[in-house]
Amino acid sequence: MRVPALTLRALILAAFAVFFVAPIVWLILAPTKSDAALVTSSPFSFGSFGNAWRAWHHLDAFSDHIYRRWMTNSLIYSLSATAITLAVSIPAGYGLALGRFPGRKLILSVTLVVMIMPAATLVLPIFLELNALHLIGSMFSVILPFSFFPFGVYLAYIYYSTAIPSELLDAARVDGCGEWSTFRRVALPLAKPVVALVFFFSFVSNWNNFFLPYVVLADSNQYPITVGLSNLLASTPSFNPAVGGGGQSVNIFKPELALATLLAVIPVAIVFLVSQRALVRGMLGGAVKE
Amino acid sequence: MARVELEGVSKVFSDGTRALDELDLSIPDGEFMVLVGPSGCGKTTALRIVAGLEDASGGVVRIGERVVNDLSPKNRDIAMVFQSYALYPHLSVYDNIAFPLKITKVPKAEIRRRVADVVRMLDLEPYVKRKPRALSGGQRQRVAMGRAIVREPQTFLMDEPLSNLDAKLRVQMRADIKKLQNELGVTTVYVTHDQVEAMTMGDRVAVMRKGKLQQVAPPEELYRWPVNAFVAGFIGSPAMNMLQARVARQNGALEVVAGETRFELSEAMLASHHGLAAYEGKPIVLGIRPESLEDAALANVDGQPRMRGTAELREALGPEVLMHFSVAAEPAITDEVRELAEDVGDDRVVGQLGVPGRAGAQLVGRFSAESRVREGDEIEVAIDARALHFFDAESGLAIYDA
Repeated sequence: MRVPALTLRALILAAFAVFFVAPIVWLILAPTKSDAALVTSSPFSFGSFGNAWRAWHHLDAFSDHIYRRWMTNSLIYSLSATAITLAVSIPAGYGLALGRFPGRKLILSVTLVVMIMPAATLVLPIFLELNALHLIGSMFSVILPFSFFPFGVYLAYIYYSTAIPSELLDAARVDGCGEWSTFRRVALPLAKPVVALVFFFSFVSNWNNFFLPYVVLADSNQYPITVGLSNLLASTPSFNPAVGGGGQSVNIFKPELALATLLAVIPVAIVFLVSQRALVRGMLGGAVKE
Repeated sequence: MARVELEGVSKVFSDGTRALDELDLSIPDGEFMVLVGPSGCGKTTALRIVAGLEDASGGVVRIGERVVNDLSPKNRDIAMVFQSYALYPHLSVYDNIAFPLKITKVPKAEIRRRVADVVRMLDLEPYVKRKPRALSGGQRQRVAMGRAIVREPQTFLMDEPLSNLDAKLRVQMRADIKKLQNELGVTTVYVTHDQVEAMTMGDRVAVMRKGKLQQVAPPEELYRWPVNAFVAGFIGSPAMNMLQARVARQNGALEVVAGETRFELSEAMLASHHGLAAYEGKPIVLGIRPESLEDAALANVDGQPRMRGTAELREALGPEVLMHFSVAAEPAITDEVRELAEDVGDDRVVGQLGVPGRAGAQLVGRFSAESRVREGDEIEVAIDARALHFFDAESGLAIYDA
């Protein structure tokens, strides 16, 4: 009885694994093939590195290196907004978790409410607000709304209210720290794991945000990669027959698109690896009794 | 170095709990003062108020000549050792100890010198580069002490600093801390729930209960002259035996009657407790320390009162035998005794409540090791009538002078 049961379990697991992994493998292999081979050859066959290199040249040549531009824009927008998010949400979470001041509960509830609100719901009022402030079309129209990240405040709040023993902060106060240096010298260094978490989540959500920049940015030179990719899609003859006819040298086909999406994932993967390292366990080992 | 004074200090928490009620305590310069009491008695609150980590709801706190009520902890020139040690986990042992000096911008060379001194004093040299997580409990405790000492503060505040150590280490650290405090001569306020720590370490001991100060006195005085049944029951291990009794007059002499036991009060006893005369015909609580009870077969003093009982449990400790026995008398279960018994982690007095289904009161005697009494024996116990305690049955107050 045991062996068939085990086999059955293995089969089910394998089936699921194949189901989920197959598209990823296909995507990784896609840029190595020619547009025609992508359709005709076996889905999991490897083309050649030459094909991939050519796909990159086509992609890079598109609209005067605009792909690089979009990637740079995305990095600038995401990193600046994430920096603001970190500078605000870590102290805010700390204050909400350990401070005792009137209105604390209210701020906390408001944070929770706006946290569960889908970002897209605010795009229109934010557009109107930015318009009133004459920021539409500037990079701030993306960075400022991006930097509003209540989930980061919530993560920091949870971390400080559960992971940091209050005696540790009391010790700092008795040892001569004022409120700011208690935070700076004790609470902040111990918050490395949550800083890494907020950094990662904030960066990813900024990097992936499509709707807001799509609405507030007009110039394609200012697009982040998300909006850029959709722009690219619209320029592909196989997706949009209207282009590519009139003698334009648009060399964007399916392999180039696959490469564009693959490259767009790389910064997120790097950020993940970096923040992963900081999510060290045992950060607080030895602080208080175990 | 400075004296520490609390005048009418109260603390009411926002939920209405009254943690401290008009606490008056004056701690002279250089004294080792222990605050002791069961959990919830307000001792830690009092300490945190002195530290400035908690605001007093009323009253005045003075350190040295300064009123510190409105000073933040960093300006009070105090150092504190926490129950959990509260070491900074991201800093090495060296940096943990240097931390308070770095914060107060002491010159680098002086920091190095002072930390080196402290590290040497506490035998922490091999560990200076380690992080707290790589230290044992005892080492962490010493680092916490070091961080306090290096400040050279006016006052040390210690909040149950030994309660997380194992029993053996605790005894050693008890002596070490006491010695260190003697050498440094820094005024120290030490909070504990352990009456043995209180008795062995304190120059004076303040016993607290439900936010109220019961008695402040040197350990011997506390033991010999407790002001009420609570202090009497709290200080001493095993705890004082307490029986319901009454005062009667027989042939012109005053007698104490507790169940089947009755004995005449000696002249000496009456001289130091002449308030007893007023209790003629009234109920009192009779308190007998375990060491005032001895196997009558071994007691060689004539004329000692005797009491009859049944041996229940023999605990041979080596130099002595703790004999638990029952006598035909009513146990005195005052509120204080009940509270002590219910206090979690303090089961010394639970025996006082008697064993259900068994008549009489359970007493503990500290017999000499030669006692041949076995469990189940009918025994005769001699009472050292020179060291008895009497309490008002209503108020629990000790009866000394009128």
